[in-house]
Amino acid sequence: MEKKIVIKNVSKFYGRKQALFDIDLTIGQGMFGLLGRNGAGKTTLMKTLAALHRKKGGEITVCGVPIEKAKEIRAMTGYLPQDFSMYPSMKADEALDYLGALSGIPKAERKKRVTSLLRKVNLIEHRHKKVRELSGGMKRRLGIAQALIHDPTVLIVDEPTAGLDPEERIRFRNLLCEVAEERIVILSTHIVGDIEATCENIAIMDEGKILWKGTVEQLIENARGHIFTSNVEKRFMPQIKKEYIVTGMLSQNDYTTVRIVSDSEPDLPNTVLTEPDLEGAYMYCLHSSGCDVRGGEE
Amino acid sequence: MLFGKECRRILTSLTFIIYCFVVGLFFVSQFIDENKGDPYIPDEKISEDHDIIIDSAVDCLANEYLANNYICYPLGFYKSVRLKEDDSQKVEECLLEITGLTHDELMDIRDSGEHYYVEHGIQETMYYEIGELPVSDTITYERFCELMGQVDDILGGGSKYKVDDLVANYSYVPMTQEDREAIISDLYDKDRVVGGYARLFSDYVGIDLGIMPVFVAAALVSADRRKRVSDLIYTRKISSLKLIFTRYTALVTMMFIPVILCMISADIHLIRYFDFNDLALYKMFTLPTFWLLPQLMIVTAAAMIVTEVFSSGIAILFQFAWWFYSIMADGARLSGSISKFDLVCRHNTVFGREEFMLSKNDFIFNRIFYFIAAIVITAITAYIYELKRGGRFHGIRLFGKNSIFRHKA
Repeated sequence: MEKKIVIKNVSKFYGRKQALFDIDLTIGQGMFGLLGRNGAGKTTLMKTLAALHRKKGGEITVCGVPIEKAKEIRAMTGYLPQDFSMYPSMKADEALDYLGALSGIPKAERKKRVTSLLRKVNLIEHRHKKVRELSGGMKRRLGIAQALIHDPTVLIVDEPTAGLDPEERIRFRNLLCEVAEERIVILSTHIVGDIEATCENIAIMDEGKILWKGTVEQLIENARGHIFTSNVEKRFMPQIKKEYIVTGMLSQNDYTTVRIVSDSEPDLPNTVLTEPDLEGAYMYCLHSSGCDVRGGEE
Repeated sequence: MLFGKECRRILTSLTFIIYCFVVGLFFVSQFIDENKGDPYIPDEKISEDHDIIIDSAVDCLANEYLANNYICYPLGFYKSVRLKEDDSQKVEECLLEITGLTHDELMDIRDSGEHYYVEHGIQETMYYEIGELPVSDTITYERFCELMGQVDDILGGGSKYKVDDLVANYSYVPMTQEDREAIISDLYDKDRVVGGYARLFSDYVGIDLGIMPVFVAAALVSADRRKRVSDLIYTRKISSLKLIFTRYTALVTMMFIPVILCMISADIHLIRYFDFNDLALYKMFTLPTFWLLPQLMIVTAAAMIVTEVFSSGIAILFQFAWWFYSIMADGARLSGSISKFDLVCRHNTVFGREEFMLSKNDFIFNRIFYFIAAIVITAITAYIYELKRGGRFHGIRLFGKNSIFRHKA
């Protein structure tokens, strides 16, 4: 059985509102990043892949199994929702054990897996803490552990690092990379740094459509020649923000070094073409696809 | 085992603790505290003599007709009904057919007696002392019941003339010493004491079980949504049928445990006041289980399905309405006939075995019906859960901005 998810012409409606438009994607083993702004349709796609939402049209197969076979899909999929939560009065190990029981894992096996996963996510010392007593980062790690409790082939992780402090975010990314070695991991996020640190293959979504798909290198290469830096007086910044896509600013005395995404070289003093980073490449992708990404006036 | 885990979740929930407290408190205050020493023997008994029923009912009807003030209890609430002339005329026709009197004869009887006034709130009603009216020789009990039914319809229901309630309302006669000895004998010989108390126990606890389980069941079912755990549960391998039935069984089991403890306490209580050899202690477990378990099952099943479809709040409102209707629909009758679809079966006396046995078949039908209905409803709940799980149904909201259908996927 080939470890891949194939999505063909998938659309999805909420009532009359179309949330996904003819999505076509093939996701192979390893980490796959789904990048997009809030409201781009990432969560809808994630939930559709987790058999939580019903698609309107198209086909989805997960490791050869059609998405309609919900029971089989559930058995092979681990899901960490965007707003992961668990019964607050349950202890961390009880919560894992409960969800393991719902996944049909025998008691003896469950006991081993709970201990092993808590150790893996570095929560073994907090196993007897109630869920309500865990910090945000600990809860997310518990979230990953619950998604892995039945050793799924596919792991769907929706906005896992939002709200985490930098240290927890790094720890979480590393954890994801570890678990991605033997399975398909789909990471949905609006944080470019998460993708940069973990994924090789990505897709960019906006307004329910796939704007771009490929490798991180290809995306960066795509933006080559369109990222510039300029050193301008601070007082011109409002005007520059209005006219250009600004992805970074560094102020020094009366001057600001701005990083700009543009189709052509901006008509600004001290402008130089710059090596693109992923954030700039992502912004260029949105811009070149017709999305309004200007910051506007302050 | 998942069943054990669900039981544990219920055990640690606040609503279950409140449920246990209320069931226990009601049991102690109504059963234990009120049944110390010899049982209270009522002064009257039901005779079921048709002549007595017709005599009493016709006198009552004549009094109310002449005063044009009928006391009714629709849904258990007091209501004074005053009829318009044409409706009053129809009642008079029924009355005249039963008594065999003419209109003039009836008016003569009215005018020959004294009259007096009774205040009803701000209104004053004139009543007549008419004594006992005759009953037509040609009227049969069946025709009498038919006419009483017509009167009840004219009054809008809930009157003292409802056919099903005629025996309970009009057949009471004073109890003789022989009667007293007979019912005591029934209690000791046929009910072995505990049987009588088991009916009383079921009556009290049944009132609780008509409403209290909805809080525990609705809280457990809605917990996934309230704690935002739904998606985690939905994506598990377990089948919806297994999950819903496991949760249902756990709910019923956990909520029946306090009832069983009350049964044990009731037996211990009876041992204190009666000779041990007179007591058939097992009867405190058999009849109440048959009486109360189907009720607990149907209330739990109804709470689960309404919570899955609407919300826990609607489930509580729905159950309160059903419970209230069941208790109050028959004018808050405490004992007597049990109908085929009463949710809460009442028999608020240690005695009245014969009266209870008259409704035995309906009672058995009732409990088996609710037992089967509970299982069917739970299976439907599992189907609804599966629809929600796969994003094919998102629940119906009756209130709020997105009322009726939130999404049509």
